[in-house]
Amino acid sequence: MNVGEILKNLGESTGFMGFGGADGWKALIMIIIALFFLWLGIKKKFEPLLLVGIAFGMLLTNLPGGELYHAEWWTGADAVANGVNYGYILQHGGLLDILYIGVKTGVYPCLIFMGVGAMTDFGPMLSRPSSMIMGAAAQGGIYLVLILAVATGMYSGGEAASISIIAGADGPTAIFLTKTLAPELLAPIAVAAYSYMALIPLLQPPFMKLLTTKKERMTVMTTTRKVSKKEKIIFPILVTIIVSLLLPSVAPLLGSLMFGNLLKECGVTERLSDTAQNALMNIVTLFLGISVGATAIGATFLSAKTIVIVVLGLAGFILATICGLLIGKLMYVLSKGKINPLIGSAGVSAVPMAARVSNTVGLQYNKGNYLLMHAMGPNVAGVIGSAVAAGFLLAVFA
Amino acid sequence: MGISLLCGVLKSTDKIQVVDALLLALIGIAIVFIILAVIMLIVSIVGKAFDKSEVLKEKHPEWGEKLAAAKSKMMFWKKLKKDAEDAESAEAANLSAPVAAGTCGELKLINTDERDAAMIMAIVADTTGTPLNELRFKSIKRVEEEK
Repeated sequence: MNVGEILKNLGESTGFMGFGGADGWKALIMIIIALFFLWLGIKKKFEPLLLVGIAFGMLLTNLPGGELYHAEWWTGADAVANGVNYGYILQHGGLLDILYIGVKTGVYPCLIFMGVGAMTDFGPMLSRPSSMIMGAAAQGGIYLVLILAVATGMYSGGEAASISIIAGADGPTAIFLTKTLAPELLAPIAVAAYSYMALIPLLQPPFMKLLTTKKERMTVMTTTRKVSKKEKIIFPILVTIIVSLLLPSVAPLLGSLMFGNLLKECGVTERLSDTAQNALMNIVTLFLGISVGATAIGATFLSAKTIVIVVLGLAGFILATICGLLIGKLMYVLSKGKINPLIGSAGVSAVPMAARVSNTVGLQYNKGNYLLMHAMGPNVAGVIGSAVAAGFLLAVFA
Repeated sequence: MGISLLCGVLKSTDKIQVVDALLLALIGIAIVFIILAVIMLIVSIVGKAFDKSEVLKEKHPEWGEKLAAAKSKMMFWKKLKKDAEDAESAEAANLSAPVAAGTCGELKLINTDERDAAMIMAIVADTTGTPLNELRFKSIKRVEEEK
């Protein structure tokens, strides 16, 4: 037995040797980025529930030798040409390969939407249906970014569509669309979407102040009609039927959202509603975060495309906010000063963060002017709007 | 219409021109607006229908009363039917009910065990101040509380 040979083999089998390879330095940079994201999530509390998972997945996947995730099985030429071989992955895949099946099949985003539905009260939107217009307008950001992404000439149609959905400020929708249209861009798009969602309290207020007058910001909105229990039960059923018939590609996302909401509102499935809101949501968030992070492999993540995605994502959030605010101003005029345009910015999804921002800015100019419930209308309409926009892009490119 | 025209025309890997993107953007935002407008319209109609029914109830309280009366009538008939069914099943149980010891076959126990029956008889005797041998019990039946 040659002890020297054994020690040499042992040394070569360690992950440290992997850093010496062609993309070794990229893996090292990705580990540093992962540690930075962990710091952002833990210390700065930027969307920690997802960012900590994403960052840890990023860390695991870039440690050479772990074989936890194999990008080539999912986005390689063979997978693109013949489809993903799930049987092979289940037999030979690493932990993160197995968990990634939920992303690739679109199960996780739908389950997250079910939880979001179970947590969402559509009452404010039902009491003021006109708020849906603001939710629709804010989706203008998505289509403006689509034009910008195409204009860069760096992306295919599917990639540009996936990047544009960042402006929808809706993580699960972004993942749902990207896993089909541009799986190779999943990591930068998911990271950009969730990072900007966390930054909404910093991103939106300057534009809210810039685009509205002090008088408009001080507008006190009156309470709206009381929504009955029956209306709240009928709503998710009706929306599922109508929207799924009009745009079938949106059925998985919207159906899950509305099913979750029905569990909450019908009053006879409290246990299921509780599970969707808490246990299921937490489990799926855990799997989603770590498996999305796993796709951030240095060789593909560290590219000019990623940097442009980050810039376009930022532009998308700003454009969506501006679109919502402009339609808010229009509604202020049409309603003869009864609608505060600040609630227009809540039309970007990001429930309930965007609605809270509207409330906070409103309170700065008029103490006691609580806009939160009024802003929840466009906010939840934005969730439906971004899902519809994703369904449209899916119908066009898939 | 727009979607069916575009479906299958573009592949996700195809590069598209800015003009195409502009066209897609216009159709896309129009679809978002149309779908949300349809939902808005339906929500408004449903909301108005509910509001109107509330207003009608307030305007014509007699309608509400009539409705309530009809409801209570229905409940009454339902309860009557249930009682009849209960009585029938009780009678069936009665036939097979055990006879209490020392009653010469007069006391029927329905869904009641002997220990409870003895206790009830003792309580009645004590409360009324009548000796137990001067009392005559025909039957003791456990009544289930309605939930």
